[in-house]
This record gives sequence, C-alpha cells and structure tokens, in this order.
Amino acid sequence: MKMTAENDRYKKIIEILRSSRPVLARPEEIEDEVIIRIQRRDHQADRVTDFMSSLFGWVYIGWVRRSLVAAAAIMVSVFIYQQALILKQVNNISRQPVVIGSEPLPGSMTGFDNKLMLYKFSNRLLPGKEIKISEKQLDQILESYDDLRSKYKDLIRIIEEDPELKKYIEEKLDENRKYKPDI
Amino acid sequence: MIEKELIEECRNGDLHNFRKVVEKTSQMIFPVAFRMLGDEDSARDVVQDTMVTVWQKLAKIKNAESYRTWVYRITVNKCYDQLRRQKKQNERRYDDQTWAIISNHISEEGITELDNSENARIISLLTDKLSPKQKAVFVLSELEDIQADEISELTGMSKSAIKANLYHARKNIESLLQKYL
Repeated sequence: MKMTAENDRYKKIIEILRSSRPVLARPEEIEDEVIIRIQRRDHQADRVTDFMSSLFGWVYIGWVRRSLVAAAAIMVSVFIYQQALILKQVNNISRQPVVIGSEPLPGSMTGFDNKLMLYKFSNRLLPGKEIKISEKQLDQILESYDDLRSKYKDLIRIIEEDPELKKYIEEKLDENRKYKPDI
Repeated sequence: MIEKELIEECRNGDLHNFRKVVEKTSQMIFPVAFRMLGDEDSARDVVQDTMVTVWQKLAKIKNAESYRTWVYRITVNKCYDQLRRQKKQNERRYDDQTWAIISNHISEEGITELDNSENARIISLLTDKLSPKQKAVFVLSELEDIQADEISELTGMSKSAIKANLYHARKNIESLLQKYL
C-alpha cells in the first residue's frame, strides 16, 4: 500500500513536470549573443590566419604549410629554451668570484716564500716590473737573507777546516763544469 | 523540426541561416538544459555555449539527419560541465517552501502547469542528490520522453547503465517524496 502511494506521488510529480515544459524567454537575446560570440571568435581566428598566411602564404600545399608552421613553432621553442639556458649559465658565472692576475691570491699562508710558491704552482707569472709587499714580508725576506748568509759562512768555514772535504767538493765542481752543456 | 537544407547551408558557413537554426535549436535544447541544471540562467548559458560549439563543429557532422542527436549530446556534455562547476559552488539545503509547493500540486485534482521559477525549484530539489548521469537519464527518459536507444547514443551509456541510472534516480526521488511529504 505504501509503495503504491509513493508510486502515485512520483507519477503525479513526473506528470506535472512533463506537462510544464520550460519556456525559453527572450530567445532573440540568445540568438544575438550567439551570433556576436561567433563573429568575435571568427575575427580572432581571422587574425591568426592572416598572421600565418603572411608568414607561410607562399606555400600552397596544405600539409607542407602545416609542417612549416609546426617546424617554425618547434624552432622558436628550442631557441627560447636555449636562450633561457644560456642566460642561466651567464648568471651562474657572474656570481662566481673573479681573480685578476696581478692581485695577490687569497689564503691563509703568511710566508712570502709560500706565496711565491703558490704563484708558481698556479702557473701565473709574477708581475714583471713591480711587486707590492708589506713591511712584515720585507722583514721576513731580510731575516731569511741573514739566516742564509750565516749558514753560508758556516759552510765555508767547515769546508776550509776539512782539506779532504774541500778537495772532494773542488773535484765535484770541476766535474760539473766539465759536463755542463753549453747554453 | 529543423530542415535539412538549413543545416546543409550552415555547414557551408552561412551565418545568416544559422540564426534560424539557433532560434529553432534553442527551443529544443533549452528544456533539457533547464531540467538537468534546475536553473534558468545556467540553462541559457548552456544553450549559448552549445550553439557556439554547434557552429564551430557543424561541418564535422556526417549528415543533417544526425543533427538532433548530435546537438542533444553537446547539450548534455555542457550540462555535465556546468553541474561540476555548480557542485563546487554550493550545496543545497532542505527547502520547506518548495516542499509545500510540491505537496500542493500533488494534492490538487488534475495537472497544474508550473511556471519556470516553480519548475526550476522543484526539479532542483528533487534531483539535487542525483549524480550527473542519473540526472541526464532521468530528464531525457522521464521528462523528455526520449527512447533508451537514443539516450544511449547521445550519452554514450549502455542500455543496462541507463536502466540502472534511471532506477537509482527514481528510487532517490521516491524516497525524498516519502520523507518530506
């Protein structure tokens, strides 16, 4: 019984809805709007077509023209990608520190000799005509010069005191002079 | 009924004649859109969109005979899109005023015609919980009286799917009627 009542209600409401067909009010507005939208779209499509025909209008075969358009699009995309890549690399390079040849190398080494060695290893020439050194570095040079000088005096004294050693060194020096190639 | 010659002329790009096609087709598809969406303004938008799509793709249909089914298919698909958008926008709540209107109409002797506003409220209320497919089948089969073969053609659903969707739609509406009347 209950099912029948639900059925009846359903049927009644369906009948009501069926008989009440929705009415399209102001149909001319829809017609106008549709025509305007179509004309606007056609106009936009025309602009694209004009642009394409100005570029590829000289090709009359459809598939060749389409292929050319596709090829052009791919080339432009590749070019843009390449430019973006190059720009990125240039940016990376510009962020890196620039070391100019005549500037001293940065680092924690303090000795002037060490710095000289560093220049040598880095295959860079020392500035030819002038070199800037600090007072401290000058003191170090003088100190090492004095040290070297005293060591040299000691060495000469040792050699003078030992005739055998003196003789041996003189022989070695002679040999060296003998075999030394002429430059 | 739209003349085949008119369709053929439009297929060749005759925009002047297309206006006549819009005039006749709009009357045909508006009730479907209206009943599926339960909203007059949305239905008008769908009709406009459908007609623009019809113009763009008219040259692609095989022949003028298939125009009716093809236009209905576009309309139903546009309604699906609109329903998806509407679902995101708002969820309906219980509407006691509309239930009162339904109750009055059911209890009246004979069949009383509804105006667009009442019609929209009632359809919207009864089909609110239906899925888009159920709505499509319910509207096309129960309200538009379109045969299952044609519904299958224009929705892409199999006949058994149409039956199942119609069954669920009917059950859902019946349970609402039982609950609120």
